[in-house]
Amino acid sequence: MADTITLTIDGQEVSVPKGTTLLKAAEKVGKDVPHYCYHDGLSSPAMCRLCLVEVQGAPKPMPACVTQAMDGQVVSTESELALDMRRGVLEFYLVNHPLDCPICDMSGECHLQDYVHEEGRDHGRSREPKRVFGRDDFGGDVLFYGDRCVMCTRCVRFMNEVEQDQRLCVVERGNRSVIDTFFERGLEGTHWHDNIVDLCPVGALVSKDFLHKARAWDLDHTPSVCPSCSQGCNIELHTRDNLVQRLKPRENLEVNAFWMCDHGRLNYEWINHGERAEAPLVRDQGGVKAMGWKEALTLLVARLGDVEGTVKAVASPFASNEDLAALQALVESLGGGDIVYRMPRAEDEIVLKGFPTLARRRDLAPNGRGADLLGLRRVGGDDGTGGLEDVSAHAGVVIVLGDGLADQGADFASGAALRVHLGTRSGPAVATADFVLPITTFAEQEGTFTNHEGRVQRFWPALNAPGLARPAWLVLGALVAEGTGSETPRRADEAFARLVAAHDAFSGLSYDDIGTRGAVVNDTVPLSGD
Amino acid sequence: MTISVKMMRRPEPEKNSYLRATLSGMALTFRHLVNPAKVTLQYPEEEADLHARWRGTHRMEVHADGRPKCVACGLCPTVCPANCIRLVGGEDDQGNRYPVVYEIDEFRCIFCGMCQEVCPVEAIHVGRHFENAEYTRDRFVYDLDRLMEQDHPTTLLWDPSDPRSE
Repeated sequence: MADTITLTIDGQEVSVPKGTTLLKAAEKVGKDVPHYCYHDGLSSPAMCRLCLVEVQGAPKPMPACVTQAMDGQVVSTESELALDMRRGVLEFYLVNHPLDCPICDMSGECHLQDYVHEEGRDHGRSREPKRVFGRDDFGGDVLFYGDRCVMCTRCVRFMNEVEQDQRLCVVERGNRSVIDTFFERGLEGTHWHDNIVDLCPVGALVSKDFLHKARAWDLDHTPSVCPSCSQGCNIELHTRDNLVQRLKPRENLEVNAFWMCDHGRLNYEWINHGERAEAPLVRDQGGVKAMGWKEALTLLVARLGDVEGTVKAVASPFASNEDLAALQALVESLGGGDIVYRMPRAEDEIVLKGFPTLARRRDLAPNGRGADLLGLRRVGGDDGTGGLEDVSAHAGVVIVLGDGLADQGADFASGAALRVHLGTRSGPAVATADFVLPITTFAEQEGTFTNHEGRVQRFWPALNAPGLARPAWLVLGALVAEGTGSETPRRADEAFARLVAAHDAFSGLSYDDIGTRGAVVNDTVPLSGD
Repeated sequence: MTISVKMMRRPEPEKNSYLRATLSGMALTFRHLVNPAKVTLQYPEEEADLHARWRGTHRMEVHADGRPKCVACGLCPTVCPANCIRLVGGEDDQGNRYPVVYEIDEFRCIFCGMCQEVCPVEAIHVGRHFENAEYTRDRFVYDLDRLMEQDHPTTLLWDPSDPRSE
């Protein structure tokens, strides 16, 4: 192919497309050239001078992030010259960078720490006092520690190029240069500014929400999908002590690139909510009794067999595809019935201008599209309330999955012959149900969400479920199995396989295909409400 | 093989005096009373001379204004092999990072001294101290106030004149 060139990096031959930078080519042979100012999602100003590599024939070391690879080039990233350059550049960084790692939130995931540890000097030689800027509140969720800044300007370029709302700039020159906001305007009012905290290679920009909360090395990282809107940004849940400590975006160029919005990033406290339904509660003549799953499900199957009348169900767009499909299978095994769901909606979309396929969508739940594809009906208003009048007035079986019914009173579906509630928390409308079955949140189970464009994306369990709470697909699958004499699905991929078998839109998909990047469904059903 | 049994000849009761044995025993006792090479330490009147590297229960150093020196960096709970340190960091009213919760379970502690070794601000120390008796078990979880109250001498983990033991 004419567009492919071959060069040698550290003695290894590598073929790359024409126009590839040396940094990317080196990545291909497994060499990570240290860099600060370069980021895959931003322009390259080649100003950090850390990615200097030796190119044979070039008069001086070349910055790998902007130098394009050429045919037959011989590059070494680890020659004496390259190492010496980097050692020198790192030493210059440490002239002013404070050694306050013990109190720095970035400690443990700091690039300066890593690079100096790998290639830097054991001891500093600078005897001059370091410059001191102190701490500045940039507004929003961002704090700026000027002393730690290495002037890579990733944050400035993110605001200019990606968010396209110029809020940050470099003021002063040379040794005194520092990132600053325009007067008192700050970052307040911007919707993507927490990404600059991720971009900052050192601890200069830190999140107020995460300030001093946990050390980076204490956190467990679990790949997941953001549940705060129907965009389905790929994220990582960072957990410690069985609590979510923060959310970080996970790279997926087809969904969210490297970014996520502040709304989604800071909306995680509900996952850590301590008051949870922990055991199956069964109401009989003597009142409410907590019991084990086997006992409760046996009773429920018997009651479902006794009750006459049709089924009406309320589902939640926060439930996974597997959960919703299992609910549908149960309703069908009971003779079929109407399943509705309610969607909280925002006023408008918040689009990231530099990556316009990414936005905080209007639907503020992750799986509205999945519910639509499975044939569920959307009811209620944009605030996620109302619309349940005919369910509440139903005389047969009423099943609620995941919806907390916060707007409903204790008399919800009081005329129903049997009320089953699968949820994470109690409430006035929940407490009067005949069966309250505790289920897990998305952070405690494996499953998939379908985002607004029909991309099915997997998430993994990050937390231990409280008490006896179980995934809804397992509970509902066991009920279906009991009623029809089939097998209970034991794993999430079995539950997903059943969903695939029952719904054409999902046909051909499997957990292995979806992987960590997601896969698009066959059908393009229009999203309700748009 | 025949078994030979040695018969011990014992003094008959009533016909034996213990006076001589008692006197020789007392003689030994009095000899020890005046012996300059005696080894018994008259605890608690006398204090044991603990080795400079003795590692006992912890102590938190404090600044002159009474704040703990700890900056809640999290290295001691990370390095602790017995997992006996619980630390929750926070920010005080002057904007300094400090430990909101700092607890050491002295029962779980194995007194390896690594917390002192790893501490970047020389805040937590193991002590040259062994009098830890309490009436209840829960008193052995030392919280921050208790650790700051301790005033016993701290341990020298290494000789300052020869830090690398060369």
